[in-house]
Amino acid sequence: MSSQANGVLQQMAARITKSVADFVPGLLAFVVVLALAVLIAAITRSLLRRFLRRIDFDKRVERWGFSELAEWSPANSPVRLMVSLAYWVIILVGILVGLSALDAAVTSVLVLRLLNYVPNVFAAILIVTVGFFLARFFARSVLISAVNMQVQSARLLSLGVKWLVMLLSGAMALQHLGIGGDLVQLSFAILFGGVVLALALAVGLGSKDMVSRSLERQAGKSAEEEEIAGRLRHL
Amino acid sequence: MNTLTEETREQLSRIGTAQLVLGIPTFNNRETVGRIAEASLTALGNHVSSRSAVIVNADGASKDGTPELLRERIGEKAPLIQIRYPMYPVRRLSAPLAGVPGRQEAAVAIFQLAKQLGAGACAVLDAEVESVTEDWVDRLVSPVLDDGVDLVVPRYRRHKFDGMINSGIVSPFLRALYGKRLRQPMGADLSFSARLMDFYLGQDNANGDAPSLVDPWDTVPPIVNGFRVAQSFLGPRAVHPHEVSPELSETLRQVLTNVFESMGRTASFWQKVRGSENVPWFGPPPETDAGHADLNVKRMIDSFRQGCQDLTGIWNLVLPPATLLDLRRMLRLSDTAFCFQDAVWARTIYDFALGYHTRAIGRDHLLPAMTPLYWGWVASFVKELEDADAGEVEERLERLAGQFEVQKRYFISRWRWPDRFSP
Repeated sequence: MSSQANGVLQQMAARITKSVADFVPGLLAFVVVLALAVLIAAITRSLLRRFLRRIDFDKRVERWGFSELAEWSPANSPVRLMVSLAYWVIILVGILVGLSALDAAVTSVLVLRLLNYVPNVFAAILIVTVGFFLARFFARSVLISAVNMQVQSARLLSLGVKWLVMLLSGAMALQHLGIGGDLVQLSFAILFGGVVLALALAVGLGSKDMVSRSLERQAGKSAEEEEIAGRLRHL
Repeated sequence: MNTLTEETREQLSRIGTAQLVLGIPTFNNRETVGRIAEASLTALGNHVSSRSAVIVNADGASKDGTPELLRERIGEKAPLIQIRYPMYPVRRLSAPLAGVPGRQEAAVAIFQLAKQLGAGACAVLDAEVESVTEDWVDRLVSPVLDDGVDLVVPRYRRHKFDGMINSGIVSPFLRALYGKRLRQPMGADLSFSARLMDFYLGQDNANGDAPSLVDPWDTVPPIVNGFRVAQSFLGPRAVHPHEVSPELSETLRQVLTNVFESMGRTASFWQKVRGSENVPWFGPPPETDAGHADLNVKRMIDSFRQGCQDLTGIWNLVLPPATLLDLRRMLRLSDTAFCFQDAVWARTIYDFALGYHTRAIGRDHLLPAMTPLYWGWVASFVKELEDADAGEVEERLERLAGQFEVQKRYFISRWRWPDRFSP
């Protein structure tokens, strides 16, 4: 009996030793890959920081209208944000590559799922970026047009347009990322529909006199306005 | 070159040569072309009867029978050649503020015929004008044929508060930049010498398959290329009213786009120009209607104030701190004390010109954003000169133009060092 027990113990020891022996090279490979990733990330961070400072990236971002980006960035510096982002992306890629070197089935599946998800992340970032540009463009267009038409609530209109476009692009980005599912779509539809209904009620009930006066003016300008407009020819 | 029809070639060979070409670009101008025809015939019969002349009508495929009506009115009384100029979709969509859509292509087509006829001068009349008289032709072409002028720019008899974009922006701006005191550089009725027409024909597209790049109504290229420019007083200008008039912001955008584009193309020229010189006048002394005008100045000031409150975020991207401070001071003035100083106005125009050049913000936003500032200046101008006579108005505009010349140094500094020089 003692020899049986010894035999089982020896087998167990051998299995453990074999598992460790199988695992250690993978672990060593993971550590080497990770160390390499850290080194590459550090070099990239240094080079990218120098390049972005040389092209005055902070000022350019502000000129392009991304002043909010500066506020979100560490130390209000978009350069630091970009550099940190690049650094951690490289580290993350290094971890993923290292995990696959461990040659575990679970980690390979995890890596595969993560890599499949990455295009969705890029698409979502693209949608949000485009949405931001469009929101700013439309907001500015509405603001300038409303001011030139002497509409008193020009800023409010402009803000409304901006947030509407941002919300729309945010909802589209979340849909791409598969976050929230139908809930995001439904919420946006309810919000948008509610806003439109509220505006329609406000205009229809609250300012019907003003609207009818405005329409009368459009259809056939009042004599006073036409006289003033006719007297001042700008060209 | 536009392809000539067989009929046109026969007409050309029958006519042979002509000293003078009277060009009439048309596009659906049935209501006014009759008046132009009468004035042209009278002019050719009386004022320029000693010169051989041909009327050239370049039409952009009118659908209201304009060429037919013109032919019917002119008949056999004067040589008439009618051609079709290419109307590109981009021209149809963006009609000019004066003249016919595709007027550049129309002018090139007229110049080509004028060259074939060996004409020494070509007067181009705006077919939308209802107030054209027979004197106009003589006043436009005589300086070219008799005095060696290359380009004659018109001066119209207008109310003192009409043409404020011209008086307050275009005229003083171009005077400061190019050194020529042109009172109304944006005329629609011009005359050209053979030399200048050759210049434009040389600039045109070689294959004629694309919209023309030249704009003969732009006075900058002749100035920059050393052509002799003169002004001629024509009289009142009444244009046939359009069904839909463009809004002020759109008018500002179109006008200033043309002006600032010319500015950008000729930077190396105007940076060397110092001061300005008189441009010769021809014809009778110019007149200005100084009658009373009932304008809503308060509304203009309110528009300026609203712009200061709501558009500061956009103006910040274009105007330096000193100008913004001046505008904030003006915001606090009462309606009675409201005044837009010439120096501030000149610097504002220069800042927007620089903003256009550097694309500080999208150009489609930049120029309409100027509208409240323009209203502020107009309000100040109207308040000051409400009871002024024509002489006082001209003196006032002369002082404004002088300030544009003084502030030019500021503009050049900002142009050369936009980041470093920002007062």
